[in-house]
Amino acid sequence: MKNRLVGKIWLGALAILLAFAPARSGRAHEAKCPHCEADVAQDTPEQDNEVALKYGKKRIEYRCVMCAIADAEKSYKGDLKILAPSEKKGKPVEISRIEGKWSAPESTVFIGHKIKHRYCERGYRAFTTMAAFTVHVEKNKAQLKGAKPITLAEIVQIAKSDVVEDKKEK
Amino acid sequence: MHSLTRFWVTLLMALGWAFSSLAQAQTEPLPKREGIPGREEAPGLNTLPPLPEDLPGWFNNKGKNHIFYKRGPYNFDIYNIKRLAYDLNAVAVGHSMAYEDMVTGKAAGLDTETFERINWVLNHPPKFMPDEANVSPTFGRKYGVLELVFDWTHILHAQTVDVLASTKLSEAEKDREIQALWKFYFESVPYAISPLPMNMAFLDGQPYSMAFRNKYPKVNGLFWGYHWLQGAMYDMLLSKTLPQQRMIYDVLGDRYHAIELYRTNRPFMPMFAETSPRFSEKYPYIANAFDNLHMLHDMVNDILASDWIPEPEKEKQILRAIWIASATAHQGERPGDVKEEGGLHDHRHMVGMPGMGMMKYATEDVMWMDNMGWMPTGDCHHCTMPLPEGEEAWKAPTVSAQGWTMRVRCPLCARDMAAETKGAVIFHIPTEDPLKPVVIISDEQGNLTTDNPGVLFLEEAASHRKCNRWSSAFSSRKAFEEYVATNPEFKDAKPLSFEEWAAVEVSGKKPDTYVKPEGPEGNPYDKAQDDETQAQKEEE
Repeated sequence: MKNRLVGKIWLGALAILLAFAPARSGRAHEAKCPHCEADVAQDTPEQDNEVALKYGKKRIEYRCVMCAIADAEKSYKGDLKILAPSEKKGKPVEISRIEGKWSAPESTVFIGHKIKHRYCERGYRAFTTMAAFTVHVEKNKAQLKGAKPITLAEIVQIAKSDVVEDKKEK
Repeated sequence: MHSLTRFWVTLLMALGWAFSSLAQAQTEPLPKREGIPGREEAPGLNTLPPLPEDLPGWFNNKGKNHIFYKRGPYNFDIYNIKRLAYDLNAVAVGHSMAYEDMVTGKAAGLDTETFERINWVLNHPPKFMPDEANVSPTFGRKYGVLELVFDWTHILHAQTVDVLASTKLSEAEKDREIQALWKFYFESVPYAISPLPMNMAFLDGQPYSMAFRNKYPKVNGLFWGYHWLQGAMYDMLLSKTLPQQRMIYDVLGDRYHAIELYRTNRPFMPMFAETSPRFSEKYPYIANAFDNLHMLHDMVNDILASDWIPEPEKEKQILRAIWIASATAHQGERPGDVKEEGGLHDHRHMVGMPGMGMMKYATEDVMWMDNMGWMPTGDCHHCTMPLPEGEEAWKAPTVSAQGWTMRVRCPLCARDMAAETKGAVIFHIPTEDPLKPVVIISDEQGNLTTDNPGVLFLEEAASHRKCNRWSSAFSSRKAFEEYVATNPEFKDAKPLSFEEWAAVEVSGKKPDTYVKPEGPEGNPYDKAQDDETQAQKEEE
């Protein structure tokens, strides 16, 4: 009798635990980048990596800010926004293209350092300040040795030349 | 036999064989292999599997034996959607032109002159269906039985499409007629293609496989482009009104002409379940027969494009290819049977998709999809929760974009998936009534329009574990209220109008239930990718 009661208590506790247990660990969508077709780099607890391009009601993810700008130049007409992860978790830099003119908050700097594609979220990023850029380069000095900060206009130019290369390949 | 005599006989035979092989090797160097990338040498004639000895008599049929449609009031109703009907007429000439050129010594111009001719027809489609036998008379004389097999399945193709496009039949009548057409196809003459799921790695793993696509990528692109159309049109037509069908073909037809016909980077031919998962789930035997037919086309192309195979052997290999794909070769076998894993009699199918044989490089529940990576076949492509199956399968919405059609679990999954996908999107959203699905089209910017502005939605977002319950579409207010009454947890829910539902913007948050589908590492179709993975491992 006592054993049965203990068993019931255990079953009840298990049921409660199961009912409140979270669903399978929520891993992010891991699609292919529409520009480079590599996996979209996922956010980590320390750093955001997913770049989102907002076009009307669409929200398309890219592997790095350079891919997003390049695809914006290649595939989208009209106004759009790119949310480029910055050094601050949850606070992306908002880059806009309105009537063909690109803009970003005044102190924004970018890194546009050619790097193996598997690490491109390190080589192509936005930063809210020059100081943040310096910290990032220092942290990844093996891969980003000699990297210089670039402006929005410069990264747009790099992206445009990538589109030209992409078309040549096809 | 005396042991010494036996020794000398064996020695002489061995020497004779060795010298003859040497002489042959010196006089007939093996040509370069057009097939498997990375292999420079032709595989050698001894790698070609033999023709089965006891082929039925009809395999030798070279005479004219025209077969035609089953009678029906729906015949040629595809002309209700004129643009699609004309596009299908044009498709009829593609393979025929290429076959004729390949058997009349014009193969060298296949990716140039032949491509231009086929492409011209595809862009200037005839008003009536051409007779393929008139386009490829030499080929027909040589491979008559093959033409019969092709024709017979093309008739099934045409008639099932006519039924689905008919405005004279109810949904129940259409369903009955499709089954009657299948019976007519399968039982009237012996030329039926197998309705069983086949192992695609086996079919595409023959010594000659991939020769055609590697040698003539542009023409192969056209073939796979219109095979894409022949697949994609089924979900477009299934359970839809004529205005819905026309509305969808405005989007699908544009994509077909602008993109799908000219893709040369597909890793594999388009499969029915990738382009019409609802039809493939409902009529798996037809979807399998069409996939097997398309694979037979590919095998024949590969044989004809393999210069290392002499003419008489090509004829044998084509007969063998017909045998492999024929229903006759698989009599008594059933879906799921595995006499030999990875071989001719491996009839397993992908999990959740009875209308698709095991794909190349796939595991049972994930397959590699171009630009998507490893995708589950039985789970929602947005939230990874299992999709409804069997009798309930019609309840899964679908999202068509970028050349694929994927099943999802609820309208919210469909809307979010569409918003996260580039380009125009077609939604199929079932309501409580299987006969009243809603079609929604998204433009390039994600603005949604529908054929049924009166549709109402329930959307009480919570964990995706139950998204099929808290996200639903209803054809009327009454249907919404009935649902809420029988599901008291939603008693306070307000129905959303189409405008309200369509105005919700995607948050970018991942569904709590999402699990990345795991498959073998990297893109299995891309050797370069594997090399890169190896390099990475070494680096680490």
